[in-house]
Amino acid sequence: MKIIACVKQVPDTTEVKVDPKTHTLVRDGVPSILNPYDHYVVEECVRIKEETGEGSVTVITMGPPQARSALMRCLALGADEAVLISDKAFAGSDTWATAYALAQAIRKIGSFDMVFCGQQAIDGDTAQVGPELAQQLGIPQVTYVEKIEIDDKQKLTIHKQTEDGYHILEAKVPILLALLPPTSFQPEHPPMSSILKAKKKPFNVWDAKTIGGDESRFGLDGSFTQVIKTYTPPSRGECELIEGDGKDAAKKLGEVLLKHEALIKR
Amino acid sequence: MVDYRFTEEQELFRESIREFCASEIVPKTEKLGEVRCMPEDIIKALAKFELLGMVIDPEYGGLGTDTVTAGIAAEELARADLSCSIPVLFLVGTSWGHVIDKYGNEEIKKEILPKAIKGESIIGIATTESDIGSDLGNMKTKIVKKGDKYVVNGEKMYISGVAEAMEYGGGHVTLARMTPEKGTRGMNMFYLPLKDTPGITPTYVEDIGREAISCGGFDIKNVEIPKHYLLGEENKGFYYIHEGYELARGLISLVCAGAASKALENGIAYIKERKAFGKPIGKYEGIQFKLAEHHVKIQALRQLGYKALWTYDQEIQGKASRFDVSMAIAMAKSVAPFWAIDAIDDVMQWQGAFGYTKECEDQKAWRAVRSFTLAEGSSEIMKLIIARELLGKEFLAYR
Repeated sequence: MKIIACVKQVPDTTEVKVDPKTHTLVRDGVPSILNPYDHYVVEECVRIKEETGEGSVTVITMGPPQARSALMRCLALGADEAVLISDKAFAGSDTWATAYALAQAIRKIGSFDMVFCGQQAIDGDTAQVGPELAQQLGIPQVTYVEKIEIDDKQKLTIHKQTEDGYHILEAKVPILLALLPPTSFQPEHPPMSSILKAKKKPFNVWDAKTIGGDESRFGLDGSFTQVIKTYTPPSRGECELIEGDGKDAAKKLGEVLLKHEALIKR
Repeated sequence: MVDYRFTEEQELFRESIREFCASEIVPKTEKLGEVRCMPEDIIKALAKFELLGMVIDPEYGGLGTDTVTAGIAAEELARADLSCSIPVLFLVGTSWGHVIDKYGNEEIKKEILPKAIKGESIIGIATTESDIGSDLGNMKTKIVKKGDKYVVNGEKMYISGVAEAMEYGGGHVTLARMTPEKGTRGMNMFYLPLKDTPGITPTYVEDIGREAISCGGFDIKNVEIPKHYLLGEENKGFYYIHEGYELARGLISLVCAGAASKALENGIAYIKERKAFGKPIGKYEGIQFKLAEHHVKIQALRQLGYKALWTYDQEIQGKASRFDVSMAIAMAKSVAPFWAIDAIDDVMQWQGAFGYTKECEDQKAWRAVRSFTLAEGSSEIMKLIIARELLGKEFLAYR
């Protein structure tokens, strides 16, 4: 299995604070981390590679030179090769322009069986890059994937989470999968020996010229959307926390809903 | 030019060990209590994350890292375990594992190091006696050669990890007089296994802090050890043993920095929230001045500690002298516990009456860090080393 994992370096949102006056994110001094969804993606890719017994895992990200540390962490988690696409031409990319640049880089990498993305990144939470990347690569996609079984090297059984359960789908490669971390997921912490090995693995840095394509589709020029402002919406009302076991809490909830005329008693 | 950056591997390692500590160590420390013996699951977790013996040659199961990287581990473990019990287990095993790696013969290295690295046994240090601490040249424990063995008699006291060695196996790097008339030039350094060793009788004392690692001693009565347990050459033990102490002192500096920086973070969170006279106490200059002073001292301490270990690494590579190492290490260790105690003490003060209760996490660090004015070389000895290097050996008071 030749696997490509798309990852992103994000600000640690547990450290991000909101300016109480402007309601915008204060990112100064906030550490950057590997998007937690992508952490799981890399571990899952390595697991699939080891299970199928052959192939490789290439991790790819678009970002500034500092994004190298996120890729190095992926290599320490067991990925085989890293690609950082980095160029001022990519600045201001929205999800569509990002997906275009990633698609160009993946074409340069060559053949692949599976492309993985995290379901979403914790900074933007758009969940758009995966589906848009599949569109640009012209391959099928499944999102909200919680479990993958490889029946043989061509056929996959995929558990896709839905609001009320799962869809169990069969699919063939090549395919793009956007993964949710399972609820039981405990991320691995690469020990020093894995970090030392990571340093010896291939690490490629590609600019806009290297990945090729239509330069007018990169960065701000290639973006259909722009982030004007990020803010916390004002509170819409008072919040009442209902405590107690299920039966009592349900009864209290019913009373509150009746009181506010959200329910009508017959 | 001076380059203050850690390597890319070290930065990744710090990120990874901080996460490891948050998920694997911190939850365990909440249940530690006053167990007076490191729980096995913690030792195994440290081993699984490859922290035990990280500076040891890969041939024996280690990683062969430099000591600066071990310093990162020491600092992060102290941030995670403010009682500093786990950091003590780590720093002692690292320092004396390094000494066995350097001075032990092939037979003992293969016998001792892989097990300790896997967390199946522990490595400690035992030089102190009931009446002898810094004045090692006058210790009572003696070692004599008897055929192809050595026989040891004496006692050791105020030793970390005695219960762990008795419970899980392992032993201590020990010092004894072989040629008493030669003073410090007549001492042997050797490995002394404790568990199931005839003639070893352990005793225990209760430290006021570091409650999750044992402190005690052992009587040594006609204990026979095989010849290959001798570390290095006969009569040179006093000199070898200082290489272990210097590494341990460098690591202790960063344990102090780690515990103090975590306490200060706790303090910052507290003074932002706690209100007095209508506003958060962090708004008062009396608090802010202290906060700023402690931050500067902790950062300075980190610089001193990492510089000390960097110098230690430079000496291993033949790029620094013993003078450089002794000076750098003693400078860091001489101030580390005091600066850390001052910071933690003020954090406790900011928390008012709560700060003096056992509910307050920071008091664990306060009690633990106090031990480092004594452990692995007292603060007074650190100052004597600095003065010796500045004035010359002819000014040593005890000559």
